[in-house]
Amino acid sequence: MKEMSRMILVLTVIAILSGLVLAFTFNMTNDKIIHNAEVKKQNAIAEVLPGIESYELKQKGDFSYYQGIDANGNPIGIAVEAKGGGFQGEIKMMVGFIPTEKKISAIKILSHLETPGLGARITETGFKSNYENKPFGNYSVVKRPVANEMEVEAISGATISSDAVTTIIQNTLKAVEEAFGGEL
Amino acid sequence: MSRVQTFTNGLWNENPVFRLVLGMCPTLAVTNAAVNGLAMGLATSFVLIFSEIIISLAKNIIPSKVRIPSYIIIVATFVTIADYGLKAYFPDIAEVLGLFIPLIVVNCIILGRLEAFASKNVLGDSVIDAVGMGLGFTWALTLLGSIREILGMGTIFGGAIPGFTSWWTPWTIMVLPAGAFLTLGVLLGVMNYLTKSK
Repeated sequence: MKEMSRMILVLTVIAILSGLVLAFTFNMTNDKIIHNAEVKKQNAIAEVLPGIESYELKQKGDFSYYQGIDANGNPIGIAVEAKGGGFQGEIKMMVGFIPTEKKISAIKILSHLETPGLGARITETGFKSNYENKPFGNYSVVKRPVANEMEVEAISGATISSDAVTTIIQNTLKAVEEAFGGEL
Repeated sequence: MSRVQTFTNGLWNENPVFRLVLGMCPTLAVTNAAVNGLAMGLATSFVLIFSEIIISLAKNIIPSKVRIPSYIIIVATFVTIADYGLKAYFPDIAEVLGLFIPLIVVNCIILGRLEAFASKNVLGDSVIDAVGMGLGFTWALTLLGSIREILGMGTIFGGAIPGFTSWWTPWTIMVLPAGAFLTLGVLLGVMNYLTKSK
């Protein structure tokens, strides 16, 4: 019995000490971690909505988005966090829309698990420019140089990733159109 | 065994990756770029050094029947500290290493060294062993990461190599999982050859 109580005592003490150390570490780092995530989001929103001064989180029914505001306080566009399945995992991105002009302003990939060197090229400017300043509508992925602005040139060797990004954007676009309805 | 020997053991004779072939999961998974290998190696070293310190100090207090759970709690504590620290101060690296940082808890090198060394030796020797093993793991991972990054992307530590990057056609397979096995296999062969011919 003596051995048993000693084992329980030692494990309890170790667990308590560990808990104390972790609580301390959490307090030291948590603000910084939240801050990092915030900065990352800010940068992403600023990148997809060029020219914004600030933004605020807004809600329309079930649909939440970031309203971008320019230096004069006028709303100039919205940014939406979108995600969907890629080739190997979830692709998360920020999509900027300018509802008044019925345009997609730009996209930014936040995180993905696509194949390095192939699908991972969805983060490159060359691919992202397929969606820069483009009108609302139905996009199609093609495996040749684009013939019109509704076509997206697939990354060679990564058609699935190119399709995935296009599908996510298309779904987000649909959600935006539904949420804003006639106001568009 | 002298202290110098204890130290160099981890670097070469008992190198965790090339000699003991332990901790293969992070070795193969995160070494697709030099900086990832280096960061993983340093994070593991941090956990290894502090766990060996605590275990070597507490070895007489911990009853042998509950030593493994005790080790795991202590290792997990330091892993969580490393995880929070990376997320707070090196968010980019934390994002790439992702799940592999929490998985340091079950890295066999750490539990192996605690059981085989720290629980039987005094504090000073344990620290030397931990630093040696940690550096051994770090250089092995950095080397793997460098080779894969040079061949697979034509860069080193994310930067261009003068006179190389411009004409090199990246072998994409080297940054994919298959490249990890190829590189590790060749390096193990080279290590064996070097040791044999001595």
